[in-house]
Amino acid sequence: MLSVSTDSVFSHKIWNETELSKMAGKDMPFPMVSDQTGAIGKLYGVYDEDAGQNVRGRFLIDPDGIIQAAEILSPPVGRNPKELVRQIKAYQHHQKTGEVMPSGWEEGGSTLKPSTDLAGNVWKVWQPPKE
Amino acid sequence: MLVTKQAPDFTGSAFYQGKIKKVSLSDYRGKWVVVCFYPGDFTFV
Repeated sequence: MLSVSTDSVFSHKIWNETELSKMAGKDMPFPMVSDQTGAIGKLYGVYDEDAGQNVRGRFLIDPDGIIQAAEILSPPVGRNPKELVRQIKAYQHHQKTGEVMPSGWEEGGSTLKPSTDLAGNVWKVWQPPKE
Repeated sequence: MLVTKQAPDFTGSAFYQGKIKKVSLSDYRGKWVVVCFYPGDFTFV
């Protein structure tokens, strides 16, 4: 995990000390990266030139350095960490087994094994979760 | 479009465990890593 904002590292230090560590009961367990020019945000398409800051972009990167998932939110709404954890578990399961995870999959839920026989027959083995 | 593509590498100064140090995304090769951008320290959300 790396967090990135356009604040200075000294701002990160003080924010950790005065607020975050009090919320979490410990220091932030990941590097808080400073992106004062917005250069990193620009690389990922999340730097807002008008505001001079990065929006809430989140990128899930696998062990080969490939981006497998991304989410971009505007500033007023926070993220859902449970959804991030679900996606990590799903991609790890896929890379281990080759299986694919249908809509709404949760850990332990049924998966699909892509094959010629399965084409057009998913409805026989899987139904969308009822809301 | 970034998804399914190689993540752009970057290096920056970071605050971590009481110290200021250089961090590169490439330091994490071989591990799952999440990069989270946010608007700013001391914002409310």
